[in-house]
Amino acid sequence: MLSRPGLPSFDYVRAGSHDEVVRLLVTGGPDVRLLMGGTDLLVRMRDGVVRARTLVDVKHLPGMRTIAYDSAAGLTVGAAVTMNQLASNADVRAHYAILAEAASAVASYQVRNRATLGGNLCNASPAADTAPAVMVLGGRLVLCGPEGEREVPIDEFFLGPGKSARQANEFLTAVRLPPPRQGARGTYLKLGRNREGDLAVVGVGVLGSPSSEVPPGYAFSIALASVAPVPLRATAAERLLAGQKPGGAAFAAAAQLAAQEARPIDDVRSGVAYRRAMVESLTRRGLETVWRGLSAASSGRGR
Amino acid sequence: MMGRQVEQTRVVGTSVPRVDALEKVTGAARFTDDLQFGPDLLFGRVVRSPHAHARIVSIDTAAALQMPGVRAIITGADTPGFIGLYLRDRHILATDRVRQVGDPVAGVIASTEQAAEDGARAIRVEYELLPGVFDPFEAVQAGAPLIHPDLGSYDVASFLYPRPGTNISHHFRIRKGDVDGAFGRCDTILEDTYRAPQIQHVPIETHVAIARWEQTGEVTLWSATQSPFAQRSMIAAAMGIEPGNVRVIGNYIGGGFGCKAGVTMEGLAVAMARRVPGRPVKVRLTREEEFFCSFVRQALVAKVKIGATREGKVLALQVEYYWDGGAYTEYGTNITRAAGYSSTGPYFVPSVMTDSYCVYTNNPTGGPMRGFGMPEIHWSIEQVMDRLAEKLGMDRVQFRLLNCIREGQETVSGMTMHATGLSQCIKRVAKDIQWGEKEPPSAPHKLRGKGIAIMWKAPAMPRNAASEAWVVFNEDGTFNLGVGGQELGQGSFTVAAQMAAEVLGVPMDRVRVARPVDTRYSPYEWQTVASRLTWSMGNAVRAAATDARKQILDLVGRCWGETPADLDIRNGEVISYKSERSVGLDKLVICGLSMPGDRELIGGPIMGRGRFMPTYVTDLDKETGQGTHGMVHYTTGAEAVELEVDTATGQVEVLRVAAAFDVGKAINPELVKAQIEGGVVQGMSSGLFEALRLKNGEPLNSSFVDYRIVTTLDAPQEIITAVVETAQDDGPWGARGVGEHTMVPTAPAIANAIYDAIGIRFNEMPLTAEKIYLALAHKA
Repeated sequence: MLSRPGLPSFDYVRAGSHDEVVRLLVTGGPDVRLLMGGTDLLVRMRDGVVRARTLVDVKHLPGMRTIAYDSAAGLTVGAAVTMNQLASNADVRAHYAILAEAASAVASYQVRNRATLGGNLCNASPAADTAPAVMVLGGRLVLCGPEGEREVPIDEFFLGPGKSARQANEFLTAVRLPPPRQGARGTYLKLGRNREGDLAVVGVGVLGSPSSEVPPGYAFSIALASVAPVPLRATAAERLLAGQKPGGAAFAAAAQLAAQEARPIDDVRSGVAYRRAMVESLTRRGLETVWRGLSAASSGRGR
Repeated sequence: MMGRQVEQTRVVGTSVPRVDALEKVTGAARFTDDLQFGPDLLFGRVVRSPHAHARIVSIDTAAALQMPGVRAIITGADTPGFIGLYLRDRHILATDRVRQVGDPVAGVIASTEQAAEDGARAIRVEYELLPGVFDPFEAVQAGAPLIHPDLGSYDVASFLYPRPGTNISHHFRIRKGDVDGAFGRCDTILEDTYRAPQIQHVPIETHVAIARWEQTGEVTLWSATQSPFAQRSMIAAAMGIEPGNVRVIGNYIGGGFGCKAGVTMEGLAVAMARRVPGRPVKVRLTREEEFFCSFVRQALVAKVKIGATREGKVLALQVEYYWDGGAYTEYGTNITRAAGYSSTGPYFVPSVMTDSYCVYTNNPTGGPMRGFGMPEIHWSIEQVMDRLAEKLGMDRVQFRLLNCIREGQETVSGMTMHATGLSQCIKRVAKDIQWGEKEPPSAPHKLRGKGIAIMWKAPAMPRNAASEAWVVFNEDGTFNLGVGGQELGQGSFTVAAQMAAEVLGVPMDRVRVARPVDTRYSPYEWQTVASRLTWSMGNAVRAAATDARKQILDLVGRCWGETPADLDIRNGEVISYKSERSVGLDKLVICGLSMPGDRELIGGPIMGRGRFMPTYVTDLDKETGQGTHGMVHYTTGAEAVELEVDTATGQVEVLRVAAAFDVGKAINPELVKAQIEGGVVQGMSSGLFEALRLKNGEPLNSSFVDYRIVTTLDAPQEIITAVVETAQDDGPWGARGVGEHTMVPTAPAIANAIYDAIGIRFNEMPLTAEKIYLALAHKA
């Protein structure tokens, strides 16, 4: 069926409080959807994929658009913070550069003026560009529901395409990231069919930091987008790196493991073979990039 | 016709600013969807077939008619006539059967677009599915489902040859020389098959049309069209209206690239408006509809066999083209013809056998797109020439210089080639891309390569494709220039104004282009297609301005007792080189002049008229495709590309493109440069990214989410443009068209550069990163 020429009609409610949002979610059921940037929701309503009678706007509620950084507590990003806000925030760029990089990889500049971090995560798309970054940074999602607030670790948040641990009567208010690991370096590599504006064919987030907890002295986290029903931690690759001296051989082996961990599908964007190969290519490239940063920092300290 | 001497010019040949620049950059320019019709306006939406091939069993409109806001519903019973440009093979609404996904089946007129949509969704159509065929090669095999059983009864242009009882709607043949004998004399022979998929034009502005039936029986159609006059005649013929009663008004166009030529959806608005007389009805395509409900570029399967001597002279060529024309080939048939009579590419080949078939399938309807078949056939020609050069151990540039067509040689269709600067273009791009020098790649995981491709293209049109123009003056000495060609971003109004200003000796700000183009008031123009306006409309404009100039100089000469040869118009004043007298145009163009002494008035309002029709074009023989002057002329050019391939991802980065085209005369060099840059980017987009993915005729990626096109970040880092000017004897100031041509060589030049970089050939567009990576992995 072809898309409609415009949006179907709906009611717009500007929520007055967190409680009102929850109340509307409880009473309205599936007819009620939360409006963040609308960059996915409105398109899907036009396409007829989402049928909502009421859109509840929550962007203006306290804290929703705030970015707060504290060296002891870490970073709290309001769910309605836009991608461009995130990408240009000085604290994010200084301490969580991979998140800024991921935010600026989403769609195109105009869309990033509207698209929000919360929307990107709550859609629970396997292709969410910010998911790998939040995963390797150890993010927790703050959900507000009838019983008040609860926090869910991002590794437990994604359950399937479009499905998350967020209950129907809850909404995401913020994403919390722990204080940055000392000396950490990260990168998010996105492969689209062209350079700007595409959904990720494959996305790879890599974070590395000096660590006394693992024998090689460096810990690496790897997360993958668009290659499984959910954004995925490459745990086997991470474990391998926890036991091997960082460098070309270890990175190549880890990248191979990550490719094996991926469970990609064939679709109009790409095929299984290419996606799997790209997990390997980008993981390796990401590890090498991160390692160059870590090595430069350590030799800098040595002088 | 004009001679080839170089003329001194003041305005022609200079990069004056576009006449529409200010209103376009400020957003003041009005496009069709901007027009306001007040509360009378109704909206139409269309019920479209979800099936690729089916018989319509029944249409139940009862529920829809009860929907709020719904005013009327039309079905195929309302549109029994046939419509089509060269072959009348379609109805405005499907009557008995649908032949593609998206075929229009019913139309709903309602008070709002949403109400019309809701009404459309309430219509129940029962279909009986028919077997479909989705590949042009399969569609020509015996036993393939017949898509147009009535092909033999359709009206068709005299130069097209449908084969009733098959899916072939046109078969164009070239039989030139002794091909078998020539192959026997070849030392090297190559055979290969190349494919190009359907792509779409993706103009920023989707199709939109508003129609209103007057009580007088007149119909007004406001449409975003490249073809106001063709729409007038085509819609009139299909709906049984006198052409004089159809008035088409064409405002600025937000990009066309061919998909707004002829008629695609505009008849729907007219058919709907007939049911609500006096009320304007607006129909506009969504982006999804735009992807497969107007025109797509036809897909092509090209089988090529070519042979050359060991010295590198190409002796023989045998080509079969199977064009996937889709459900209706009313326009695409002529692409098949153009491809056939250009099937050597810009090379001299003495012996040629070409069979170019236009084939019905149940895929989206093919139609004109920038290049009109040339990008598709050059995709095969320019790669096979590269392969041949390599097999012969020759440099790819030298091989092209050796074989490219030259003035005086006979073209594939038997015409004597006119003067052309193709060799200069080849040499220029080779120099600009530093051919023969190999830079190291920018990173260890990258490979770098260079490629070249050359092209030719003639305007494809019927022999009687004509242009008219007029010049009328205002009291202040400014003048209105009437043209019927459309401004779709290419700068046609600007170059027309430049030409008129040149002839009439006035500054640019004295010229007003009379717009919008309105078939009631504007002079005739066949269509804004084929890159023909600068040349054809330009000839008419020049003639109209020359006519006005002659009247003015005759008038002043008579008044002053001087011969017109001693007079000139400079800066808006008529001057005499003999008597050194002068008089402003504002003093004479409306009210005439007083004779000295007896005060007798002479003259009156000046009106210049001009027209052009290429009456010298001849037919091509049905059996051999030969004729002495089968097309007006060929524009030629070359592009060279330097790029890098990322071997870890397959991604291609186009670093530089050098482009040179022989435009005869650049009326406005900056506009030529803009055409080249735009064409290179669009050509690159088709070469690397674009394909309408079809599964049994159903598009899988009919939105920008999954139909990717080049963005500014993908575009080449540098485009080096050059203009060669070998004057064309039938062009104004020697000009030829240069709109479509610029995208023709880009994709094959990229393919050739990728081969240079990684040693792998790809026969099917587009060259996605995935395709390249997997080929690299396979090779390793």
